[in-house]
Amino acid sequence: MFKQYSLIAKCKKDCIIKTLNSLCLLIFFGCIFSKAYAVDVIVHPSVSESKFTTSQLRRIYTMRQTQWADGVRITAYVLPRQHSLHLRFTKDRLQMFPYQLDRIWNKLTYSGLGVAPITVNTPEELMNAVRRTPGAIGYVESIKDAEGVNVIQIEK
Amino acid sequence: MLFKLKNKMKRLFCNLILIAILFFVLANVEAAEQKLRYHGFISQGLIDVDGSNFVNDNGEVSSELTELGINASYQLSSNFRLAGQVVYLNGGNRYAEGTRIDYALIDWLAYTDTNWRINIYLGRFKNNHWLYSSSRDVPFARPSIILPQSIYFDGFRDIAVGADGAAIKISRSDDDYGNFDFNFSYGSNPISSKQADIILSKQSQGTVKQDFEAQASFYWQPLFSPWRFGVSYLDSDFTYRANKAQDLFFDGSFSFQTTSINTLYEGEQWEFSGEFHESRFTTKGFFTPTSLKNPISHRWYVQSRYKLNHELTLLMRYETFASDKNDKNGNKMEQETNGLVPAYFAYHDDTTIGLSYDLSSNFRVRFEYHWFQGTGRLTPVVLPNPRVNNSKNWQLWAVQLMYWF
Repeated sequence: MFKQYSLIAKCKKDCIIKTLNSLCLLIFFGCIFSKAYAVDVIVHPSVSESKFTTSQLRRIYTMRQTQWADGVRITAYVLPRQHSLHLRFTKDRLQMFPYQLDRIWNKLTYSGLGVAPITVNTPEELMNAVRRTPGAIGYVESIKDAEGVNVIQIEK
Repeated sequence: MLFKLKNKMKRLFCNLILIAILFFVLANVEAAEQKLRYHGFISQGLIDVDGSNFVNDNGEVSSELTELGINASYQLSSNFRLAGQVVYLNGGNRYAEGTRIDYALIDWLAYTDTNWRINIYLGRFKNNHWLYSSSRDVPFARPSIILPQSIYFDGFRDIAVGADGAAIKISRSDDDYGNFDFNFSYGSNPISSKQADIILSKQSQGTVKQDFEAQASFYWQPLFSPWRFGVSYLDSDFTYRANKAQDLFFDGSFSFQTTSINTLYEGEQWEFSGEFHESRFTTKGFFTPTSLKNPISHRWYVQSRYKLNHELTLLMRYETFASDKNDKNGNKMEQETNGLVPAYFAYHDDTTIGLSYDLSSNFRVRFEYHWFQGTGRLTPVVLPNPRVNNSKNWQLWAVQLMYWF
């Protein structure tokens, strides 16, 4: 009777360990998965800020804030509006839909109210533009490529 | 002699400035790239109207659906910017065909910090007070090929699209309560004889002048909210000077006061928008030396767009317009004109369906179909043309291809 009970307990223990193992694996792969799809915000080294809130990042990309705290003009760079990295940046970092940004930027550009971010064709071009433009801001797929620029930490 | 010398000096001075700019631009190509921005758009469509003279008088399929534009913006210093846009429009009877300076302004960023922003615009600026008033000529920036005519009436396009004068925009981006925008503008528009024909009638021989136009609007978008709410007010006066030698009309004045509210919802797939305008339109004189008319008109639309995916968007819209809220079916107007102007000239309803497909990031094709009841939004406005527009119900389809950079 006791033997039978201990067998059941062992089986239960095994089950828990197995479940925990699979959970760990899931979390591990989940981390890799989310890492591979992360978007990081980068700025030119001359920019003194190192942390943004989501709403501050929104202010910059909706052109409501066009100067840094030290008075230097912000030059924002983006990829074409159908580019997968742009779609991810818009959704994950700005928590907006790409068409909302298009609407704001088109209104500024074609009615003379202001200027929109500069569109470049590839992630490499975007990286180079941020690297060589004082006051520039942009985004990259992975911070591994982020040499010669500062990475901004985004707080929710 | 002295005059010639002055002219030579002036030319030399201009040339020196040009050479200096050229040298500066060449020496700072990268910096110039960020300071000078230029954009534009090209679009061409086909439009077919059955039962009215909205586009043409003969009712055949028309290619009079061309919109071109080019603009530039130059950052003079951190707080001053020059901007201008030229557009060419051909919409048949909808508005006068030709090239126009859409805007040409100096933008002065008078104050800025992380939450506040004050811009002052001087020169020719666009109407930034309604949902689509500033983007009505930009094919890919508006929701459909033909906008709801109850509010964005093409016959009034040249007057409603902007003005020469001054405008101010005050924005607050609040970390707790969201975005607040206040706009105020004051100015006037020159009115061409072509424009006078479109609004009044080809039989008017006098001149129309816009005395002034003052507009204010306020928008609020709560923090991280998909909703945005707006209110606006417009006040504008016009004067008509009759041609003393020969004119069907008399000296007169027109006055518009419009109050409006609007809302916009932007979800991931669904988008809703709606606007309601109430206007008092006072006419003193003009028809007879002592005539006085001041009807109150109502106009509104509700619009829904559904994004099937990143490329395809569907559109549904209903709009309605009554030129006199106390005579919605136009019977009183028909009686007053002894049957000369049929009752259906007093209103305009439109049901629209459409689709929009993005071929790439800068290429789009659109198609739409409209069912109209009433001819209250056809030109000319003051003295309508029931001989051509002899049908209460009329329809329209249009297809348009657009490219922008």
